[in-house]
Amino acid sequence: MLEKRRFIVGSLLIAGAVAYLVWAGIRATSTYYFEMDEFVARRAQHDGEDLRVKGWVRAGTVQWDPGRGTLAFELGRQDGSDAVPVAFTGILPDMFAEGREVVVEGRWAGGQLVARQIMTSCPSKYEPALEPGPAAGGA
Amino acid sequence: MVELGRLAVCLALLLSGVAVGASVLGARLRRPDLVRSGRHAAYAVFALVALATVILLRALLTRDFSLEYVAAYASSTLPTYYALAALWGGQQGSLLWWTFLLTLFAALVQLQNRDRNAALMPWVTATLMTIASFFLGLVVFLTDPFERLPVPALEGADLNPLLQNYWMLIHPPSLYLGYVGASVPFAFAIAALCTGRLGDQWIRTTRRWALFTWFFLTLGNLFGAMWAYEVLGWGGYWAWDPVENAAFMPWLVSTAYLHSVMIQEKKDMLRVWNMVLVLLTFLLTIFGTFLTRSGVISSVHSFTQSGLGPYFVGFLLFTLVVTAGLVAYRLPELRTPGTIESFLSRESAFLFNNLVLVGIAFAVFWGTIFPVISEAVRGVKITVGPPFFNRVNAPLGIALLFLMGIGPVIAWRRATPRNLWRAFAWPTAAALAAGGVLLAAGIPAGLAWLTFVGGVFSLGTVVQEFWRGMRARQAMLQESAPRALVRLVDKNRRRYGGYLIHVGVIAIFVGIAASSAFRLEVQQSLAQGEEVSIGRYRLRYEGIDGWEDGHVSVLHAIIGVSVGERRIGTLEPEKRFYKKPKQPTTEIAKRSTLREDLYLVLGAYDPDTQRITLLAYVNPLVTWIWLGGLVMALGTAVAVWPAASERSARVTVPGGVRVGAE
Repeated sequence: MLEKRRFIVGSLLIAGAVAYLVWAGIRATSTYYFEMDEFVARRAQHDGEDLRVKGWVRAGTVQWDPGRGTLAFELGRQDGSDAVPVAFTGILPDMFAEGREVVVEGRWAGGQLVARQIMTSCPSKYEPALEPGPAAGGA
Repeated sequence: MVELGRLAVCLALLLSGVAVGASVLGARLRRPDLVRSGRHAAYAVFALVALATVILLRALLTRDFSLEYVAAYASSTLPTYYALAALWGGQQGSLLWWTFLLTLFAALVQLQNRDRNAALMPWVTATLMTIASFFLGLVVFLTDPFERLPVPALEGADLNPLLQNYWMLIHPPSLYLGYVGASVPFAFAIAALCTGRLGDQWIRTTRRWALFTWFFLTLGNLFGAMWAYEVLGWGGYWAWDPVENAAFMPWLVSTAYLHSVMIQEKKDMLRVWNMVLVLLTFLLTIFGTFLTRSGVISSVHSFTQSGLGPYFVGFLLFTLVVTAGLVAYRLPELRTPGTIESFLSRESAFLFNNLVLVGIAFAVFWGTIFPVISEAVRGVKITVGPPFFNRVNAPLGIALLFLMGIGPVIAWRRATPRNLWRAFAWPTAAALAAGGVLLAAGIPAGLAWLTFVGGVFSLGTVVQEFWRGMRARQAMLQESAPRALVRLVDKNRRRYGGYLIHVGVIAIFVGIAASSAFRLEVQQSLAQGEEVSIGRYRLRYEGIDGWEDGHVSVLHAIIGVSVGERRIGTLEPEKRFYKKPKQPTTEIAKRSTLREDLYLVLGAYDPDTQRITLLAYVNPLVTWIWLGGLVMALGTAVAVWPAASERSARVTVPGGVRVGAE
């Protein structure tokens, strides 16, 4: 009986440890993920916070300095409305281009998103054609 | 031709239904003729799907651009082997490919068991054919790979340049083999539940299938990591992307199963638990497929909103309800009298290892679906990224590493102090010594240090097992040392193959710990002739060069690499600009040694000033991860190879024969 109890205690300890790690991990690392319209509506409340924002790279706003490795552009909706300035230092992702859908991960501060990472959605195994074209129809 | 392919999948769908019906009726009414019809129908389904697959393959290879699929995923300049890979490069083709593997496995299982498991087989057929009809239904009604374009295209849109890489030829197929292979143990589990033959017959029959599944999931995950490392150019190999997680979760659960099943074979315990693990592995493979197809969870791999999501959810729920119902129905019979006698026993070490593995799978699952849950509960999407997964899984992984050292050598039933001393004195001493040496060498006492210590401990137990086994044979049979070692392994392949796999896993753990904790990273803008240092390397930008053909134009920087004053080589990281889908890709350059990888990325090039932005990483011990994978493959080969004793129809019990260890 004692052995059984020890055993149950051991199992509970493991389950408890997993639960605790998940809980603490989520508390410490979770960030909001906003679509453009949500972000525009709520950005005032999230000043100084780390966020992920999904939007489209506005045409004509991309300034890339390959010498310094600095990138500035505006994030907008798909139709080009709204403009959130984004600043980034680093390597331009391969898939980054005007009009593309991107997820910007970084801090919202002082009226601009200071990006740590820009995730370009694409390396898809299932839908390679990014540019809409006659032969690129999906399923 | 193409119409024939369409006809073949339609007929296959019909016949898969027939196979299910005939098998179930045959089993219920005890009509061998019906069971036979079911079996034959399953063979026919395989033949038809194979035909359809060959037809699609032929269309891809001949670049038949009248087919929408071919026009979307191939082009006339695409090399032949990538045209082959386009079979699984797109949604429609990959589902057909999945169905092909499934029906192939179904046919193989029939063939293997034509004179065996007569009671189980109809249910196995019915289960596999039910899965097949789901996928065939998708192929026929929703994602027709044989759809023609209204007007044939003159040229195809081509395969995504990122996929035009040799990994595309090996990574997806191995992952698919693993994913689809999980259906076979699942089908036997369902058959066992349906017939009430819950003993270990079904487990013995599917032992090799389970190992096969696990092996290809292992390879698939590792190949995916290598692909990411060599192609995506961010210096790492694993990003905890939902798609990676989708492949990792079934691997975790099937790893747990491979261990706990030994307890059932040896002690007839944990029947319910094993059953649940097999069912869960299969459900996770379907869940993974769902994740990658539905666009429910945003991923670096962006997926088409293909509308398949609801169907997968439906199938997932259906499977969940059926399996849960069956388990609940058989629960009284599944319960076994055996209980774990001692906290300090191999049974309990295995069970704790199982709990940790399933715990990791749970954490990964939770982190992956967290955005969906938070949106449903709180109305906002909250995501967790790699930091979450690393934080949660690092301690769990280290616990697993230590358990991996304890499990194989602790005594069954109840370990006595004497047994514990005998089993763990040396490994513990080795681990403590290694820990001290590492501290003295300046490695801080953190998670990486703990991983190294755990690795030495686990390796110590494995080496000790080999050593003692060998010495015992030498003493008893007067064999020479190499001969004793070979015979030792050959006499108990499953056990020592398993140990070898553990050695590979230890190497992977060490590689992951070192490369996450001690990696260096430098980003620098350089004019020609300028240098940047990273670690012990000096990198000098010596020039830029390029070439071009009809398909792609390539720019490569020439970087001279020196250590101290000694020049050790030249690396040429590239940017490629594909012409068809106009898109740049990054080709990294690296110099791998056992000690570390020097990994260079050409970040940017300014044609006006000729300046480049160079991104350099030093990743310690990454090679150990790939070598560990190789050792795991070797260990698996040792474990599945039929032992001499098996030919004389003896059943080997894992860890049952403790040669010279007592």
